[in-house]
Amino acid sequence: MVKLMEKLTHDIVIVGAGIAGLRAAIAAAETSSNLDIAVVSKVYPVRSHSVCAQGGTAAVLREGDSYDLHAWDTVKGSDFLADQDVVEFFVRKAPEEIIVLEHWGCPWSRTDDGKINQRPFGGHSFPRACFAADMTGFHEMHTLYGKAGEYGNIKFYDEWFVTSIIVENNIVAGLTAIELRTGRMQVFRAKAVIMATGGYARIYEFTTFSHTATGDGMAMAYRAGVPLKDMEFIQFHPTGMVPSGILITGGARGEGGYLINAKGERFMKHYAPEKMELAPRDIVSRAETTEIMEGRGIDGPYGAYIALDLRHLGEEKINERLPLIRDVAIKLSGVDPVKEPIPIRPAAHYSMGGIHANIKTETPVAGFYAAGECACHNVHGANRLGTNSTSDCLVFGAVAGEEAAKYALSNGFREIPQEKLAAEERRVFDEILGSEGDERVPIIRNEMRRIMSQRVWIFRKGDELQNALKEIRTLKERFKNIRVEDKGEAFNTGLVAALQLDFTLDLAEVTIASALARTESRGAHTRLDYPKRDDENWLKHTLAYYTKEGPRLEYIPVTITKWPPTARKY
Amino acid sequence: MNSEIEKTVEFRIHRFDPKEKRRYVSTFKVPVRKGMTLLDALMYIKDNFDESLAFRHSCRMGICGSCGIMVNGKPMLACYTQVLHLNVDTLTLEPLQNMPVIKDLVVDLEPFFGTYRKIKNVLIKSEETFKKPEEFIQMPSELKKFWDLTLCTKCSICYSACPAAIDERFLGPSTLATNYRFITDSRDEGSNERLKTIAENVWLCTSCNSCTLFCPKEVDSSSSIVNERSLIVETGVIPRTVMEVLNNIFKYHNPMGRYQTKRMEWAQGLNVKTFPETAKAEVLYFVCCLTAYDPRHQEIAKSMASVFSTLGVDFASLGAEEWCCGDHMLRLGERGLFETLAEHNLSMFQKFETEKIVTLSPHCYNTFNNDKPYSDAGLNVQHYTQFVAEAMDQGKLKPTKPFSQRVVYHDPCFLGKRNEIYEAPRRILEAINGLELVEMRRTRENSFCCGGGAGRVWTEDAPPEKRPCISRVKEALELGVQIIATSCPFCVSLLDDATKVLEVEDKIKVKDVVEILKETM
Repeated sequence: MVKLMEKLTHDIVIVGAGIAGLRAAIAAAETSSNLDIAVVSKVYPVRSHSVCAQGGTAAVLREGDSYDLHAWDTVKGSDFLADQDVVEFFVRKAPEEIIVLEHWGCPWSRTDDGKINQRPFGGHSFPRACFAADMTGFHEMHTLYGKAGEYGNIKFYDEWFVTSIIVENNIVAGLTAIELRTGRMQVFRAKAVIMATGGYARIYEFTTFSHTATGDGMAMAYRAGVPLKDMEFIQFHPTGMVPSGILITGGARGEGGYLINAKGERFMKHYAPEKMELAPRDIVSRAETTEIMEGRGIDGPYGAYIALDLRHLGEEKINERLPLIRDVAIKLSGVDPVKEPIPIRPAAHYSMGGIHANIKTETPVAGFYAAGECACHNVHGANRLGTNSTSDCLVFGAVAGEEAAKYALSNGFREIPQEKLAAEERRVFDEILGSEGDERVPIIRNEMRRIMSQRVWIFRKGDELQNALKEIRTLKERFKNIRVEDKGEAFNTGLVAALQLDFTLDLAEVTIASALARTESRGAHTRLDYPKRDDENWLKHTLAYYTKEGPRLEYIPVTITKWPPTARKY
Repeated sequence: MNSEIEKTVEFRIHRFDPKEKRRYVSTFKVPVRKGMTLLDALMYIKDNFDESLAFRHSCRMGICGSCGIMVNGKPMLACYTQVLHLNVDTLTLEPLQNMPVIKDLVVDLEPFFGTYRKIKNVLIKSEETFKKPEEFIQMPSELKKFWDLTLCTKCSICYSACPAAIDERFLGPSTLATNYRFITDSRDEGSNERLKTIAENVWLCTSCNSCTLFCPKEVDSSSSIVNERSLIVETGVIPRTVMEVLNNIFKYHNPMGRYQTKRMEWAQGLNVKTFPETAKAEVLYFVCCLTAYDPRHQEIAKSMASVFSTLGVDFASLGAEEWCCGDHMLRLGERGLFETLAEHNLSMFQKFETEKIVTLSPHCYNTFNNDKPYSDAGLNVQHYTQFVAEAMDQGKLKPTKPFSQRVVYHDPCFLGKRNEIYEAPRRILEAINGLELVEMRRTRENSFCCGGGAGRVWTEDAPPEKRPCISRVKEALELGVQIIATSCPFCVSLLDDATKVLEVEDKIKVKDVVEILKETM
């Protein structure tokens, strides 16, 4: 069923319209008004998962703070797996991003003297999280969307689902996408492509993530031959609301919230006596899980949980600083944090790994860039600090836009071979939509999430990972026998779900394979069978390359500039 | 790790098959657990019953704005509403309104997002200020002034509920609120430009308040629009139609430009007592301009006078001293003029000794109760439907003549949405022998505005198919009723016009509740 594809042509195509994608579009448009830029997103831009970012954006703005301090916090937080040259670049660029957002109208929360306010955050040794109440990502997104709309050379393709990246001779040529409204597949020719599709925490059951965060871009890059880096490092956020997993910002602890176990004890004193609740996320999530495993969780209808107590902050402060989470807790959990503690548990939250990209957001494929959570520029290493992700999206989104613009101004379009298009059409319309098997998307998806949640969670073991890998591969086999019930063209969300599942199965496989190979515990990756960090053997990044038989792993060194690895205590 | 099933709820989902252009309804029985949201239920249906069901969703925490749908006639975010909280056994889900349906619950958002592209969504300042690599200073108190307006998620629920948005010239509540958000941002210097963008079309808003009522983030778009109008009125550059109304009020104290000395013409031969000859009565009857002057509407005023008489109520009117209540002025943005009218009326109320004021119009009723300076005066005000329903409850009034008609009641926004008075008019109609009362699809708090509020009754210039009243009369026609009853002079006026435009005035009549009551006494 090969259909004739229409060709759309743009100098730069950006996939994803979250913070990184929009920031990239603006940066590219600023670089040259002669560039024709497209932003292709499977959702309307302001529906992107970036709007869920709550607590803040880290940047050095004030006396008493310094680039070195922010960099050191980030490197220590990363359990020394971050590339220190990239971190140093990152912390220097972050403040500029806060100011441009301010200039475009971002409603930052203010100090009493009218300056941008900053709050303390886990793992940061200075209050450097700029925030807009507890809707920081939301306000950054709406500000960026407003700004992006000002440029005549940015065209939005809203609700277009990108299915593949086309690479020829290690140079990007374009991509294929389905216009959801019509169900037609079309091809975009582009000189440069920026991937900014976000994370994939939806491979888990209990996650803070939007339903749409399925890591499509990572999987497409992987299939196109770009390696995925450090995929074993998944961040578990300490405060996912029970039972939905909805994020309760780390800002709640930044503002002074307590974590309490069944004994009514602030148990963090046993794990991070100095930083307490404001230790980095990997440490707090491990502590919570240990408390629950050792029987000190609080019993509830959805299993044992930990209490996040904000009552001592008082209603006024909660309303001013944390209005969203109060509303969400009341509406969806039936708990008013002014009166009762919020039931929470660690939830899958962020992928430190992603598309292998360097300090300039370049990937090994010429003309192909990556920014935001889908990318890995080695800033976060084995564990990201809270509020460093929105900074990352802004800083590297801007870099990607500028670099892609420079590239597009000095390079031409590549021919897209017809057989690649035909193959992609076959994959989507014949092998997935046309498949008349008896497997169903929700069943395989739930199986995948169960496996990941049970065996590839906070504490990992070699035999369980081995088992999980086998099971995910079985699911991949079963997926070949899929049946999509909806055979229609317009807005076929059944097909979208199948395509997303197909992508996430690859990502689950890479995550497990990378985790299985790394026989040490570092940052968010904890192996019960290898409980110690092993700098001698494992101070290196994992690269996973696509092969038909599964990921092939290679390793590259970590860049150390100023801070040799030391013991990590908080 | 699931909680127990609390009950089974039937979901009736209105669907659209784009290929066959077919509308149909699918019914699903969903086992509902504690905490389950409407979105969870939709996902349950998709996973277990029908994978082809199309709906949008993403964040499931009320911040991305994807999952707006109509639930039992009311627009809401599916993810932000728990099924058990709705307290029903059957739910009807439909796609949002005012936008074409693509498939099932998925609507075409282009008309909605298109409105954003017409305004500037970034700060406007001089080039020089942007060159400084530092933050602008904004005090927390300055931020507070517009913060609530920044919470708009662009979910399009307000647009879906907006009667004015059927006219694509209108930018819609959320876009106008966002425009006002920038105007009130102390960092912004672009007010003039921003006002200019909306100066032609902002007048289409009827202040029905649906946007504000249904907003999941409690963004007060309705008031933002009024505030923008105020700023435009200050500039003096306003459409001729609006200018005429303001001029009439200024010169004649009523929007129709009639002499106040003729204000009691409606009561000719009725012997209604008036101020200043009478300065004391049990009830002060506040008639409203349209009912006082317009021959069609004078019937309403007369009917109520006759009800008072039947009840033996001692009532009087302010006569030539009854000035327009000013509601339309306030909502057109002419606060100064509103205050002049209010001061006059209040000084009359002071001179007049009475137990209560009874108004014919929900607009007078609302402004007396809710808008300063009236609301500070502690007036005892009733809408006539409340007064009459109370008299009926006390057994003082009983309609006797049979009235064998099928009647639908249209809720006026200023009585219903703004004051939650839904039962009184219905109680009156239900007390009438033989009258069969039916409800429109959009009813009570989900009612659809006639299109006359906020002065639009005087300034209407939209082509017929873009007028809310036409849509409303069509809805009534589907029910096969002989009469649309309502309890607001402006609703009567516009719905009446609509029957003429649609050439159905032989099929369907528009009457005020009090007119029907009078006929049956």
